[in-house]
Formats: sequence, structure tokens, C-alpha cells
Amino acid sequence: MSTTSQKGFLSFLYDCFRWNMQGSLSFQIFRLLLFAAMAFGIYAYSYQARSGLEVTGMSNIVSWGFYISNFTFLVGVAAAAVMLILPAYMFHDPDFHRVVIIGEGVAVGALVMCLSFITVDLGGPLQAWHLIPGIGQFNFPTSILAWDVLVLNGYLLLNALVPMYILYCHYKGQKADERKYRPFVFLSIFWAFSIHMVTAFLYQGLPARPFWNNPLMGPRFLASAFAAGPSLIILVLAVVHNFTNYKLDKKVFHKLRLIIVISAIINLIMLFSEIFKEFYFPTHHSIAATYLFFGLEGHDALVPWIWTSISGNIIATLILAFNPGDNNPKVLLPACFLLFIAIWMEKGIGLIVPGLIPSPMGEVVDYLPTWVELGVTLGIFALGITVVTWLIHPALILEERYEKMRASKMD
Amino acid sequence: MKEIIHGSILRSLVLGAVLLTSHLALASDKSVLDRIKAANEPFDTMKIDSTHPLSMKTVRSNDSYQGGTFKVLTRKDSIERFRCSGCHKDKKVQVRDGVSFTHGDIVINHGSEGTSLSCSDCHNEKERDFLVGKKGQKIDFDHSYQLCGKCHFRQKSDWVGGAHGKRVKYWAGERVVYNCATCHNPHSPRFKKRMPATFSRPLDE
Amino acid sequence: MKKKDMPDTQCSRRSFLKTTSIAAAAGSASLVTGCIPGKNSGSSEEFKLKWEEYFKEHYRLMTQEEKDATISRLVRLAKLQRGLDLQMSSRPAREQVLYGYAFNISRCEGYMDCVKACVKENNLDRKSKTQYIRIFEMEPGQLDPSTGDAKYFHEVPVDNKFYMGVQCFQCENAPCVKACPTKATWREPDGIVVVDYDWCIGCRYCMAACPYWGRRFNWGKPEIPDEEVTTKQHYLGNRIRPMGKVEKCTFCVQRTREGKLPACAEACPTGSRVFGNLLDPDSEIRYVLKHKKVFRMKEELGTDPKFWYFID
Repeated sequence: MSTTSQKGFLSFLYDCFRWNMQGSLSFQIFRLLLFAAMAFGIYAYSYQARSGLEVTGMSNIVSWGFYISNFTFLVGVAAAAVMLILPAYMFHDPDFHRVVIIGEGVAVGALVMCLSFITVDLGGPLQAWHLIPGIGQFNFPTSILAWDVLVLNGYLLLNALVPMYILYCHYKGQKADERKYRPFVFLSIFWAFSIHMVTAFLYQGLPARPFWNNPLMGPRFLASAFAAGPSLIILVLAVVHNFTNYKLDKKVFHKLRLIIVISAIINLIMLFSEIFKEFYFPTHHSIAATYLFFGLEGHDALVPWIWTSISGNIIATLILAFNPGDNNPKVLLPACFLLFIAIWMEKGIGLIVPGLIPSPMGEVVDYLPTWVELGVTLGIFALGITVVTWLIHPALILEERYEKMRASKMD
Repeated sequence: MKEIIHGSILRSLVLGAVLLTSHLALASDKSVLDRIKAANEPFDTMKIDSTHPLSMKTVRSNDSYQGGTFKVLTRKDSIERFRCSGCHKDKKVQVRDGVSFTHGDIVINHGSEGTSLSCSDCHNEKERDFLVGKKGQKIDFDHSYQLCGKCHFRQKSDWVGGAHGKRVKYWAGERVVYNCATCHNPHSPRFKKRMPATFSRPLDE
Repeated sequence: MKKKDMPDTQCSRRSFLKTTSIAAAAGSASLVTGCIPGKNSGSSEEFKLKWEEYFKEHYRLMTQEEKDATISRLVRLAKLQRGLDLQMSSRPAREQVLYGYAFNISRCEGYMDCVKACVKENNLDRKSKTQYIRIFEMEPGQLDPSTGDAKYFHEVPVDNKFYMGVQCFQCENAPCVKACPTKATWREPDGIVVVDYDWCIGCRYCMAACPYWGRRFNWGKPEIPDEEVTTKQHYLGNRIRPMGKVEKCTFCVQRTREGKLPACAEACPTGSRVFGNLLDPDSEIRYVLKHKKVFRMKEELGTDPKFWYFID
């Protein structure tokens, strides 16, 4: 291994790439499937780029649809990495310290997906350089979307560069200098809360949309993020534990379950608060909630969707709270999966579409994503999983090597 | 392209900052109603130099509006058989079924059931080239608004001010308005039922 | 390493930006000219015009020469691509003018002549039947357009119903202007809220922000038959928009800045639409505001629109 940092860094990158190419047959098939999904997504997007967004199910009334729904949900998943970072770095919890790198990998993957969803939703993606301050016009601080661009990219940098620094140190066999990265870790803790509050403010700040224009959006976003994100992380950790040599202590799962349960209960309390406000004395402002939960003028496409989501949410929360089977993974993992899906349903389509229906002039339409939107979404999800795999796979190999080296040094 | 990026970075930063602050300043401007209350200086609409004289014939109105005098489109040139005195001279026209032969196309639907207007309520029987006012005075067809305004005085004062009727073509320049009969057939003034000119799509097709 | 460890002189950051933008530009240019098959990969003159159009500034930051240049490019492109002879204007706002609009809901008979005229004048997409104006057939007793029906197509006026038209209200405190991340939409000094279509990135945040459903999006490439194109255009108004950009009613900026009435006011056969200069105390619009009981829609939102409704 060379001593100059530049060369070492390059060989670090090369080795990471090399490790990613290794793996069992099932791993390679998994990656091939992801690649196929991404290819289909690219095909669907090229069709959309040529014909325009008219090939999606969006219209002048439902001007945001499946793409922005997924973006909104995934920002929460990205923010949830803070639920691993906080115990790992603030409280020096050793169990979390071992898995925090996985959480950061999930965060980076989720952020890549978020940025991809925004890009595919743009009508003029080639004009995106108009956002760059100096070359373009950046409407900061007036436009919340400008804030969102800043905080998302900043969070991506933080979550990519801090682990990269730590991994690179471990690659060189050195202990990472805590004084160098600790301030950035603290920054990323606060930044995680802010990315999700800012995304919530995108919707919260629009008096034109009474469904969104309530003060509970920001806190609700945080609660649902900290329920769904760690659920996903538990599932990823289960995969890591069962399919790799990187073994994890059961205590991590128990602690994460606790975090999820608290967040999920707060989320349900907030949901109840919103439902009370809308339906105790319905006003004209409740018309969007009426559309969502009960249908309006014969349009009720979202009614089964939201009720499924809420039932799933409640069932999963109860299972995770009462913990039948006493942390039995066969109970925990499906419950986490159910909670993740339920929150995806409610915070994605169940939030964005009713905000836009009825139109501000009261006209009710339905929205259904087309094959183009589904294809592009599939491709982007595959991209996210690929990014997470590419980050975690070499990271775990590196961490294992580093731990073995530390253990042998201490002997 | 180097020039574009280098030049525009500097320019964008400076002008962008100026724009941003001016945008903020504009945002804290007075409300529309405050600006309207403060705007009492006369505005010379002739300053908008791209208005052109109309090709249609106009007369100067006998009434004045808040901005002075204004013009009205003439009516006489749209009446096919004007110069009624061509037929109607001193003596009565003696033709059997004369009314239905010559003016059979006129259906009077002006006024409600039972109180419908008759021809002589508006047309001057002594001088057929004119209309007749309340006191029996002559009213020129081009100034028929004076007749309509006898009963429809509210609409007339609105029309003079601009809340009723329409300006012809321009909002600036010399004020020319449509006369009453341009929109309202004086014999059957109510707007007819008809199909709309177009339709709006359902928005979820 | 952290980003601080990368060579971070001014020069390197700028060259990084430059390289990225060149790469992005090359990529985009190839997308623009290559990905779209057939006629769009046409002559080299067309390519050069499109290339220059792609890199141009925000309209508000352009000098008059640059504005003239972009207009001549757009006019030339229209000639090359469609054989149209356009007259495009970049006339700025007239001084001491603030446009206002009043709609008489006692007089409107629902004829929709305004809608038809607007579609023709503003070169709106015929395929998606985009319309800036929406006329609601309303039941008496309620003024809320959500209780009305805008999809009627029968003989009008129906007895005992009244008609109410909505379009962009050109708010003085426009939420759409606040929301736009690239400042592609702004309020001009004469009060019209306009969009620089080439600067817009198509994020549609402004559409979510508008409380009056005033903005439309070009979901596909707008289709207007050549013989129906209105050739007297304004850069900020009725020029044919590119795909993937937001558009809206501009009070016919191409007409009103020349002193003409907007197409909707011109077309209305019942005189229900009153338009003029709010800063002119002698104007018709000021007469309406002074003598009639007027109201604005959703006034409680604080958007300060310049479109009033009144009743005779």
C-alpha cells in the first residue's frame, strides 16, 4: 500500500470497486435483476423525455403525482439515519456504532433516489442549471424549494463524505480521528431534522392547499420518518446479518424496535389530531380530507388506499409495541415491513394527491400513475438499492478487516 | 461559452442581488387598494401611442364621463333602410298589410307581458328619421342612448361611466364605446339563448 | 477525505464548475438535438440557434440587445421549423400603468366567447384543450366556484343560474412568484405576473402554490395548426411555449401593452368584462371599483389580486 494519500485514496476506490464485483451467485443474480430494472426505468424515462410528461397520469389539477410522492417519503427514510447516528456518536452506544455505517449507506441511497425522483419529475431537466447560483438564479431564501435543494445536497455530502473518511482511515489501518469528523456528525444530526422539516415546509407553506397548510406537517413528517426509516434499516440489518459474515448483536434490533414504536405511536397520535381537526366541524377546508377518506362526487380511488394504510399502520404499531413472540424476528420483520409499506402509502400518494384534489376551484378528478411512472419509479428504486449495495458491500468487508486487524493487534 | 460563464457569473451575482432586493422591496409594497387610493393624478391614455383611429364611424356623445367626452359608434350606417323618410313622407303610407310587408321581420319583445312597447313609444311619428323622447323631442338614431336611458337610466349611467357596455378595441387612447343597439336589438333586447362557443374538457381524461 | 482536503482554490472550483457545465451542456445538447428523432435534428443553422437559445440569460437580466437577439432567434426558428412569419415584441411595461380587471356576474351569460378567443389569441395547445379561462355555471345562493359546474355544454343562459369566470388574477402578492426556485416567474411593473418560459425548469411548484388554479403546464408539445397561430406575439406572452414549461394568462400582454383590450374582454358579447388602468382615476375599471359592490376571490389569503367581481 502506498503512503501518499492521493495514491492510497485511488487504490481505496479501486479496491471498493473490486469488492463490489465479488460475491456469491445469488448476489450477482440480485444485482443483475436490479440492473434490468434500472434499464427498464431508463427506457421508460426516455419515452417520457421524448413525449413529455403527458404520458404520466398527472394533469393540470394533479400536477404532482407518483414521483413527488416517492420523493417525499424517501426524504424521511434518509433523515432516519440520524436515529442510528445519534446513539452511535452522541451516546457512544457500541451496538449502534457497528451498524451506523449501514444506516449512512441507506441514507445516501435514499437521497440519491430523492434527487432522481425530482429530476424525472421536472418538465425541463435540461434547464436545471438555472438553479445554480452565479450561473443561474437561485431564489434563496424566499422559495422553500431552493432551501430543499440546498439541504438535500448538503445532507448527501455529509452522509457520503464522513463515512468515506472513516472507511478510508480503516482501509489504511488507522483509527479515524474523531476530532476531525465529530463536528460534521453533529451537523448531520441537526441537518437530518432540517431536511425533513424543510421538505414538510414545501407543502406546509402553501395557503392554497388547506390539506397541507397546517402546523402539524413538519412534526408529523419527522414522526413518520423515524418510524418508517428505522423499519427499513432493521430489514437491511436483517439481510446483512443473514446473508453476510458481518454478524450483529440482537440488542441493536431491540433498541431500534423501541425507537420505531415510539415514533409510530406519536405518528398515530398526530394522525388522530389531523382527523379530528378535519372532521369534527368540517369546513370548506376539509374537502380534500373528505376526498381522501370518504370519496367525493363519486371519485373514491384513494379511499381503499388510505384505509389499508391506516389499518396496516395500526396493526404494525400494535405488534411492535406489544412484541408478541418477544423479539422473535419472524414477528418483528414482517411487522417492520408492514409499517414501512403502510407509511409509504400514507405519506406518499396519501399525502401528495389529496393535497391537490379538489383543484383550488373545487373540481374533483382521480389520479392513477401510468406504466411510465411505474417503470421509472421501479428503475429509481433499483438504482437506490444498487447504490446502497455498492456502498455497504465494500464497507462491511472493510469494517470486518479492520476489526480483525484491531483484534489481532490487541492480542 | 467561457465568456458566457465568466461574464454571467459576475453579472448574475450583481444583478441577481439587485433583483432579489428589489423583489423583496416590491413584496412589501402597498396593497392594490392603497395604490389605487393614492393614484389620483390624471393619466393621459393618448400616451399609449400604439392605438390607432378606428375604421368605424363615430359621433361625439352628448354625455360626458369622468374623463371628459367620449365617442359612440354610429347607428345610422347599420340600419339598412335608413332615411325612413324615403317612404314615410307627409302622408300616411297606404298599402294593404303594409306593416307585415315592409317591417314584418320586426318582432317586438321589449317589455314584459301586457306592458309590451309599441312602435310609437320609441319612433317619432312626425319625423320618421328620428326617435322620440319623453317630451316629444327628436332624438337622433346615433344618440339613441338618450332614448334607452329614459327607462334604463341605471344602465345608462353605468354605460357612461364604463361599468356597462364595452369600449371598442382599446383600453387606451380615445374612448370609443359601443352604442346600446350594437349589443341589444332595440325590438328584442334580451340576449338570446345559444350554445356556448366552446366547451371545457373534463380534466381527468 | 472531507471536501476540504481537495484542492480548493478558486480556480479549481471554477474549472470544476466549468467542466461539469460543459459536460452537462454537451450532454444536454446531444439530448436536445439527438434524442429526438426526425425533423428536430435538422439543419446546422437550427442547431446553432438552439444552442445559443439554450445558454441564454434570464430575461430580466438581459440587455435590450440580448432581448432583441433572442427574439430574432426565436422568430428565425419559427420560420425554419414551421414556415411561420412572426412579429415578436419585447415591449416593457408602460409607465404609470397597473392593469385591473372586473367581471360582471350579473351580465355573463355563459357564452364562452372569451374562452374561445383566448385559446386563439394565446396559441394554446389544441390537443389538450388548454384553456386559461374557466366559466362556472353557478346555482344562486353561493358564490364559491366549487359549487359550480365548469363542464357544461348546453344552451345558455339557463334560467335561474348565473355564470362566473375565473383565470389568473395577477396577484400583487403572488404565492407563485414566491414559490419559484429559479425566479422564472415574477410580477412586472404594470402588474402582470409573467413567466420566462425558457428559464422555467418545469418543477410545477408554482402550480401547487396558486390558490386560483391560474397556471397551466405544457405536458406535451403544444399543437396549434399553422393557419390558427396568432403571429403577433410577445416574448412573455403568447409565443408558442416549449414542452415542459408552465404558462398562464398574462392579460394578453402582447395586446394590452399596445393599448388593446385583452382578447377575452374584446370577445365578450355582453360587456361583462371591464379592463383598464387602475392608476388612471378616469378609467372604467376605477368607475366600477368606485360605484359597484365588488369583491375578490379568496381575499382572506392575502394574495391581493387585481381581478374583481361585481353585480349590477
